[in-house]
Amino acid sequence: MNNGVLLFVYNNRDIDYARSAIIAGFLANTNLQVPVSIITDESTIQWMKQSDIYQHAEKLFDKIIYTERSTRLNYRNLRNGGLEKKPVLFLNDNRCKAWELTPYDRTLLIDSDFLIYSDRLSEFWNVDSSVLISSAMKDIRGDRCGYHDRYISDTGPDLRWATTVMFSKDQESKVFFELVESIKDNYQYFSDLYSFLPGQYRNDISFSIAHHMMSGHSSSLDYFLPPILTVQDLDSIQDIDKDFVRVYINDPITGQDNFLCNLKNTDVHIMNKNALIDNFDKFERFL
Amino acid sequence: MDEKLKKALDFSNLKKTLTARREHIREKLESRLIYGHAGGIFNIDHTLITFVQMLIDQGRKTQVPVIDSNKNPILIPDLEKFRDEIFDRYFQALGEYFTEYEKIKSSRTVEKLVEYE
Repeated sequence: MNNGVLLFVYNNRDIDYARSAIIAGFLANTNLQVPVSIITDESTIQWMKQSDIYQHAEKLFDKIIYTERSTRLNYRNLRNGGLEKKPVLFLNDNRCKAWELTPYDRTLLIDSDFLIYSDRLSEFWNVDSSVLISSAMKDIRGDRCGYHDRYISDTGPDLRWATTVMFSKDQESKVFFELVESIKDNYQYFSDLYSFLPGQYRNDISFSIAHHMMSGHSSSLDYFLPPILTVQDLDSIQDIDKDFVRVYINDPITGQDNFLCNLKNTDVHIMNKNALIDNFDKFERFL
Repeated sequence: MDEKLKKALDFSNLKKTLTARREHIREKLESRLIYGHAGGIFNIDHTLITFVQMLIDQGRKTQVPVIDSNKNPILIPDLEKFRDEIFDRYFQALGEYFTEYEKIKSSRTVEKLVEYE
């Protein structure tokens, strides 16, 4: 079976997802020993060429797949360490196309800020399940996982995390991704049905609803990928390398540096994307 | 800042860092003990190891169904090979956990705890 990792990469004026994807792609390739491909658009590639990182992308990625950039303007509030939030553009609504665009028989779809520092996801390549999604989010400090990190709403299903999704290219997963697309296209309807706020499109919500529906509108008895260990966007990176990341864990009330945490050989989701991108040069020597 | 208060805050910071570090190595241990085999997922623990060894001792060595971590029956073609693999993984992961735990126990500063050099 042809296994591989897939990332969606669309740059915008606020976040250089290309750099983030190169770091995430490099770590996935190193630790899972499988090829990594990206789905991107012409303007992101142009940016890579202008900023002199395209040669890394060409060398690292198995396939660079071009698509049209989404025209749906989706904003989210993002912190860059500390409490201050800034609305940033977020082009994320074509993940439902992963099924048709993936070059692999079995694909691990990851966010470009999910750093794979271990080989534990390799254990799931041969699991007898067409679609696997992460069951939950796990805050690195342990006490900052809010209601909306666990549930879609009071009346909706549990929130699953589309930060990592593994799927085989078969009929069952095709239906799953078509369902995700249908939920995306009828987001207002589903927000009315499950009582969640429709303002910002979230893949996690679409994937969770699709997963819930595919499980017969009940709690799934299927396999899940491990919970996503998350360093939140109010935290920042103290240092990073190819086998560790050391982060400042901040207090959710004061936003001040609280304590340091060293993560070694552990997969981690870095929600402070700019902190990751600012450390790109530390990876350049490995590329 | 009052010297006594500073010492107390430093100690509190050390304890928080220590707790986070311990939590992290536990998390790492758990992830090292996930084993994908024959389409199932197994959490390697004492129960699994003992049960598999007991099956082998009873002469059940090939084509044996075993319940995985998701409560699905998984047919194991070669149980001795399976046992060897879970044994190896268990002791390797436990060895690493022990080494890291000992290192944490002997660390008396935040710098040592986060391996800041």
